[in-house]
Amino acid sequence: MKSAIKMKPTNQNQQETTNSEMAKKEQHPTTSFWGYLKRFFVSIAHFFMRKDIKSTFAYIGKRLILMVFTFLVIFFICFVLVRLLPISVDTGMKDQATFYKQMVAQGRYVQNKDGTYSPMPIMQQLGNFLANLFSGAANPWGFSYHIEWLASPDQIMGRQLPPTVLINIYSMLISIPLGLGLGTFMALKKNKWEDHVLNVLVMLFISVPSFIYAFLLQYLFGYVWNVLRPTAESANAVGGYFSWRYFTSIILPILSMTFGSIAGYARYTRAELTEVLTSDFMLLARTKGLTRAQATVRHAFRNSMVPIFPMILGEVISVLSGSMIIENIFQVNGVGGLYLQSIQTRDFDVFQYVSMFYILIGLLGTLVVDISYGIVDPRIRMGGKK
Amino acid sequence: MENETNINLVPASPLEGKHPAKELFQKSKRDDAAMHDQAFETKPISYFRGAMMRFAKNKASIVAAVIIFIIILFAIIVPFASPKAHVDSVAYPNGFQNPYFSYALPYNPMFKGTGFWDGTEEKKGISDRVYDVYRFDDSNHHPIVKDNGSEYRMIGTVRKLTYNIRVDSYAIGNKVVTVDSATYQKIVSYEQEKGIYQTANSIMKPLVYYADNYYNADGTKNTNPGYCARYRDVISNDLAGVDYSELSETQTDIRMQINNVVDAMQNYYNQNPSIYYELDAKTQAMNGTWKYTQNSFSVIKNEDKPIEIYQKDDAGHYVYEQEFHGDYTIRVDYYDYFTLTRGFEPRYFFGANASGQDIFLRLAQGARFSLLLGIGISLINIIIGVIWGSISGYYGGTTDLIMERVTDIISGIPSIIILTICSIQFTNNIALRQAVGTSGIYILAFLVAFVYSGWIGVAATTRMQFYRFKGQEYVLASRTLGAKDGRLIFKHILPNAIGTLVTSSVLMIPSVIFSESSLSYLGIINFTTSGLCSIGSLLNEGQAAGLKDHPHMLLFPCLVIALLMICFNLFGNGLRDAFNPSLRGSDN
Repeated sequence: MKSAIKMKPTNQNQQETTNSEMAKKEQHPTTSFWGYLKRFFVSIAHFFMRKDIKSTFAYIGKRLILMVFTFLVIFFICFVLVRLLPISVDTGMKDQATFYKQMVAQGRYVQNKDGTYSPMPIMQQLGNFLANLFSGAANPWGFSYHIEWLASPDQIMGRQLPPTVLINIYSMLISIPLGLGLGTFMALKKNKWEDHVLNVLVMLFISVPSFIYAFLLQYLFGYVWNVLRPTAESANAVGGYFSWRYFTSIILPILSMTFGSIAGYARYTRAELTEVLTSDFMLLARTKGLTRAQATVRHAFRNSMVPIFPMILGEVISVLSGSMIIENIFQVNGVGGLYLQSIQTRDFDVFQYVSMFYILIGLLGTLVVDISYGIVDPRIRMGGKK
Repeated sequence: MENETNINLVPASPLEGKHPAKELFQKSKRDDAAMHDQAFETKPISYFRGAMMRFAKNKASIVAAVIIFIIILFAIIVPFASPKAHVDSVAYPNGFQNPYFSYALPYNPMFKGTGFWDGTEEKKGISDRVYDVYRFDDSNHHPIVKDNGSEYRMIGTVRKLTYNIRVDSYAIGNKVVTVDSATYQKIVSYEQEKGIYQTANSIMKPLVYYADNYYNADGTKNTNPGYCARYRDVISNDLAGVDYSELSETQTDIRMQINNVVDAMQNYYNQNPSIYYELDAKTQAMNGTWKYTQNSFSVIKNEDKPIEIYQKDDAGHYVYEQEFHGDYTIRVDYYDYFTLTRGFEPRYFFGANASGQDIFLRLAQGARFSLLLGIGISLINIIIGVIWGSISGYYGGTTDLIMERVTDIISGIPSIIILTICSIQFTNNIALRQAVGTSGIYILAFLVAFVYSGWIGVAATTRMQFYRFKGQEYVLASRTLGAKDGRLIFKHILPNAIGTLVTSSVLMIPSVIFSESSLSYLGIINFTTSGLCSIGSLLNEGQAAGLKDHPHMLLFPCLVIALLMICFNLFGNGLRDAFNPSLRGSDN
């Protein structure tokens, strides 16, 4: 067992005990959480010690510049499209005079000689917006005129983020271990009845839209059995985001977000792990005397993590974006709900702000996932041509 | 076969002028059947045939395909066959609806009387006043299907006798309707034919005489007043020696208070044409005292029977109709009246929504819309994606780089932004609205939003296939023979990608249906004014009605969309396995 995963033959006779202890420690890291964390940091360190580090950084730099460029183009398109939308001043506007005053102050409208207001040309608006943004003027992103009178979009966003992040993190904490565990179990029991049953369940949970579980959970737990609150409560009213009462009120949204992602992780892990389990090096590991559990955990599982880890990383970044449907069903005051509200009330400044936020998160997520492939698997040469 | 040929092909070469063992050789006979390759006795299996054979072995996919086929049939046949789809479009511009049957529960004739899916509902803890309203009903359809007895319950702080009953949601009782003389004659002749004219089971019921006509038009006291007028007397007599403050604390004028109570009662009779008996406005308060109220009325009973107040003419016969300018105002059992005048029974297989529309019919229409949208958008996406991916993959180099950057930018903008912007811009565009109509605008917005970035996946797949095949020898051979780019692309390389493309187009349908239903569920696209409906808009209605009170409105749309999703995914996976056997189970 000792030399099972050593690839180089070592001269054991000449080694001192301390040395061999150290070697042991290095080559047989514990399989605990901390062990994995250590491995993770070690692999990041290795990443920076790679011979092709220059080209790697060049690649990352290239991707970053490309991302900024893409973001700018998207920003330009969205800015023009949103500013082209007609603002209905008559419906739901609290005070038209203040609205026009703000619009003129931000360089979006001009007052005509007869006292009426008309919008500036879009390109001029864009120039004024950029000037406001970089000169540090207050509220360059404009104001909310419908959701909350004259609140700045970032203020509203800051208020709406915590519930979304909280629900996403809880759901990740449940779904990642369960999904990976289930996938591993299925891979180990491949083509046995457990695998078949779980496969059918996984297929069902992946295909069925999440709002259907949401309705089912809300109806059964919230209304029929009356054990959990059918809708999320306001955190301020029940004593903060980490109070027990708030937690129980968001259990149902967490659960309904969890099912689909558990099934997704399980399916992916199973596919990867079955492929790795049939590799030749697994046979070698078993031949060298590792038990099945050791071989699976130390060799197969770690290798199957190569494509799964970036997936998890992508999920970590997307905790900031909320599911509109789930937040709508359970009345969570989150980002998804804010986005929906901004569309429904036609609060275009908020709409633009939240859209940009989502786009940025999406681009960042893709970038981080792409780069993380190189960190997790040193064999992948980044930016390499085929 | 190979050996035979070889033997025959051994040349009869001269060996040093001699022919050793010449007799060992025999001259080949060219027209001998054994010379040629034997024709295959089996038929050649084409690529598609092979795929179909592999597909047929996958039972789950076959079942999924059958279910999809059934849903498609449902979406095609029901809008044609349902009588509710063929009602007068002037009277019902948004399709059939009847507010009297709002939230009617699902009814399946096969389960009649079982308590499951038969349009009945369990009601628990009903107060005696409501129970009496259900119990005393002179319509032909009795609302109480089953009486589950009574029990004492704590209502607030008081222990009260309550009743548990099972109520038929289709027994909506009697309604007062105004019909023209032709309809009136039709009802009368139908009743006479059935022999139920002016009997207890007739469609037309006697009118209720609850009028508040204490005084005649000339100011004299009416000799035959209606019930409300008589009740005015009852209160006045009752309150003669009573402390007036009992009635209401804010009002002091006794006559005004009596007026209010009687008006409220008359209103109550007006709104509930099923009530044909005397009502009492007197209720007992918590502290045991009695007072008159304006909002709750109880039945006056005589030997546990209500006291009827049907309108009678001078001869003492019941009055069944009131004629006014050729139109008749009659009080009818609404269910039977509806069945007679419309020609079909107002039964709802999947229940009814808030405005009494048939969910079964609307679900079929919604599924039809969703499926058509899914298939149409998938087709458009495939065409655009194939063209884009072929060009980008075939030419490579700078062309590919630029095209890839364009797709990067396009896929960076969420389609929800495009959809929102399109729907707002299109709705405000008056010329466009006149050209395509309100429903056309939403369809157009969906088209733009889904086609906008939907083709990128197909383009990527096609591009990959082109990278795989464009360097192969047979392509080189064809090019050497002078084939042009177009021929190479469409004749030689693209057919290799057809399996992948079929699979991805089938898998695109459920994703489009899912996105469409999420968006219309969230109300980002609102179909209510356009007369269109999709599964998503049914979900929206269902959630607006309240999951707690009307779960049937969400149940059936959810079931259909879940079935569609599962079956399309299974079907698509089966197709993928059939077309690319090497990918079998790759992500399953």
